[in-house]
Amino acid sequence: MTGARLLRYLLWRLLQAVPVILGVTVLCFLMLQLAPGDLAEVLAGESGGASPGYIEELRARYGLDKPVLVQLLIYVKNVLFFDLGFSFRHNADVTSLLLERMVPTLLLMGSTLLISVGVGALAGLFAAIWVRTWRDHLISLAAIIAYATPLFWVGLMLILVFSIWLDWFPTSGMENVVMFYEGWDRVVDIAHHLVLPAVTLSLFYMALYTRLMRATMLEQRGLDYVTTARAKGLTERQINFRHVLRNALLPVVTMAGVQVGALLGGSVVVESVFAWPGLGQLAFEALFSRDFNLLLGIFFICACLVVVVNILTDLVYVLLDPRIQVDR
Amino acid sequence: MKITRRTLAGLAGVVLAAATFGNGALAQKQGGTLVMLVQPEPPTLASYLSTSGPIGMVAAKIYDGLLEYDTELRPQPSLAESWEVSPDGMTISFKLRQGVSFHDGKPLTSADVQFSIMDVAKVTHPRGPNTFLAVTEVQTPDDHTVVLKLSEPAPYMMMAFSGYETPIIPKHIFGTGDLRSHPNANNPIGSGPFKFTEWKKGQYIRLDRNENYWKKGQPYLDRIVARFIADPSTRTAALEKGEAHFAAMGAVPFNDAKKLAAIPSLTVTTKGHEMISPVSELLLNTKNKPLDDKQVRQAIAYALDRQFIIDNVWFGYGKPATGPMSSNFAPSGLYTGDVKNYQVGGDKGVEMANAILDEAGYKKGPDGVRFELMHDSLPYGQEWTRFGEYVQQQLGKIGIKVTIRQEDVARWLKRTYTDHDFDTTANYLYNLSDPVVGVHRAVHSSTIKPGTVFTNGSYWSHPKTDELLDKAKVEPDPQKRSALYAEALKFVAEEIPIIWIHEMNFPTVINNQFEDVIVSALGVYSNFDRAYMK
Repeated sequence: MTGARLLRYLLWRLLQAVPVILGVTVLCFLMLQLAPGDLAEVLAGESGGASPGYIEELRARYGLDKPVLVQLLIYVKNVLFFDLGFSFRHNADVTSLLLERMVPTLLLMGSTLLISVGVGALAGLFAAIWVRTWRDHLISLAAIIAYATPLFWVGLMLILVFSIWLDWFPTSGMENVVMFYEGWDRVVDIAHHLVLPAVTLSLFYMALYTRLMRATMLEQRGLDYVTTARAKGLTERQINFRHVLRNALLPVVTMAGVQVGALLGGSVVVESVFAWPGLGQLAFEALFSRDFNLLLGIFFICACLVVVVNILTDLVYVLLDPRIQVDR
Repeated sequence: MKITRRTLAGLAGVVLAAATFGNGALAQKQGGTLVMLVQPEPPTLASYLSTSGPIGMVAAKIYDGLLEYDTELRPQPSLAESWEVSPDGMTISFKLRQGVSFHDGKPLTSADVQFSIMDVAKVTHPRGPNTFLAVTEVQTPDDHTVVLKLSEPAPYMMMAFSGYETPIIPKHIFGTGDLRSHPNANNPIGSGPFKFTEWKKGQYIRLDRNENYWKKGQPYLDRIVARFIADPSTRTAALEKGEAHFAAMGAVPFNDAKKLAAIPSLTVTTKGHEMISPVSELLLNTKNKPLDDKQVRQAIAYALDRQFIIDNVWFGYGKPATGPMSSNFAPSGLYTGDVKNYQVGGDKGVEMANAILDEAGYKKGPDGVRFELMHDSLPYGQEWTRFGEYVQQQLGKIGIKVTIRQEDVARWLKRTYTDHDFDTTANYLYNLSDPVVGVHRAVHSSTIKPGTVFTNGSYWSHPKTDELLDKAKVEPDPQKRSALYAEALKFVAEEIPIIWIHEMNFPTVINNQFEDVIVSALGVYSNFDRAYMK
């Protein structure tokens, strides 16, 4: 694969992404119009009372009195110039609000992805190698339990055991707000706070990868090329790690790519249990307060993330399997 | 610390108060960080624009008001060291304290007060335009004198000068630019005991001690951090572990309050809501049949057992309500509980309700149902869902079949206050500092305004109550005012357009390391300048 070819491929994929993202934006915008109630009503409602005229004034201010189509055109025009608008509820730029929440989200998402794919694939691998032994049963049973347990409950139990009883980790938050550490101490402090939420979120996904990895490993081992490899005298170890593993990883990578999008949404629960300041909670609050500018901004970022991750996934395929090549 | 005060000669007469503070003979020492839980995270810190609870909890530490109020709702000096109401009630003058400056070092003068009332409270505040309706002019004869000129007496106005209700904000900052989307909304500069330092969205707001606060040696705390934890069980865990030290209002889950009270390192109190006084209610749409019939409303009122609701839905926190006004107004004489009593309770209440409905001619069908109602659950937490289920169960006993509908806040607001498309729903209104602000809105005809939330949602009104309330609004004589309210409350209880359930008592959780956190009628909405760490 030459550099120029790769570049052309990437450009083509990015070009393809533009209508996708615009489509998502327009669709989301229109769907949000279906929700009854608007920002002005919620804002006035939160104030515990409003004098006559206050709500109309709010509406006119936020441009909510214009026809929907005009609102949409204004919005799309702004997005094309990378202007995501202003969140009146937060009295802040949507872009800066999103950037502030991106770091914690990526931190949680990244560590979850690492732990769940890494440990999950490994567990699945060993379960397949030890197939139908007590070790395989143990791994499979653990995976099913982890998969079937509600996330919020796992989170609360981890807090109870590791935070309240054992006092190993803080209950919630991203850093210590009495000490306000700086520099390296702060990095350690944040990592310390990250452990419980990342483990909670990983448990669920880990189970998926374990099951998937085990199944594809077993499937691959029944194929002809494995028989060929065995016939030419390779050891079981060589067959498993050099041939079967690489093929079995493809579905896992596909799954991981698809799930990055879900991870953003799935983390609303974990974020709220551990008070982790991610995008999920922000989206949740924005929906209930009808802060559509902010919500559309989040959808926009998520759409971009999904597109980028999909491109990355395709590139990983190429690395894993030389038969797959990039082409437009 | 001891406060000595001349007796207030009523609100109409000359009111002059001077406070002298003891010189620190007690053991308050400086230092410590108080971590308070605020739920949900405030959208902004613009308390001059929005009276949303979480905003006030944080902003009240930053912006002081002209006055403070003790737990018996008596005004105390703050930015104003003394004040005087003219005998005819048409002029209120404040003498401002010398040497008070904002967090940016600029002095606080009468011009800031004038700006905060005329250009801010009267214009952008949700309740301000009503509260200060009578104010025609704010005069500033000198830097430390403020004179309010009124078009009619407004006795309730004296209760609206706290830093929570009417914050004094700097004219040199907020006077320029658009007040509704001002860059300093989330970077507030006030004159209060704590300065805004940092807001990490989704995590915390950090406030640091104001070194130049006008009260010598105060505040005692070095720092207040407001933390946001969405999950109620995690909030309980953080309080239990001592990661957070304070939680009030919606931040404390009712079902965990008893558990938290049993933890030796924590104290649970219900003080500090005297100037908030929420009263819960079953809101009826009196425009819909058969709820337009007074007898049906009375029957429903008899069928509900308020004490049962308090004990089982709100875990014992509360007191049966007798009407729209909270008994917290008893010290000022405005409240009366001597009205028609619906709190019969249990089977007796159900029997009475059935008898009324039988007599009124609402026949039970073959399935035992007289008629059906749709109840919209208030989307403000699980207590309200339980309450709806209780209403469903009790009304079922008197032949009214209730279906429960669950929707989100925006939809509920629209349905209740804009479209007026409901039969019954639950709600609670704050009584706040005075009945004019908190009680009139529930039953006065002038507040039947589609699209304006938390006003008269039952659409019921009567010329008699309108007249009584209008008179009470401007009556400067406290005794005559009380008599007007007593008559209004009696009439409203008879008509029962809304079924008032209970005076809500919110548990406040305080870590025992901290003292003097709740010291005023505004509780969590006060400035915490006296709080200290042991």
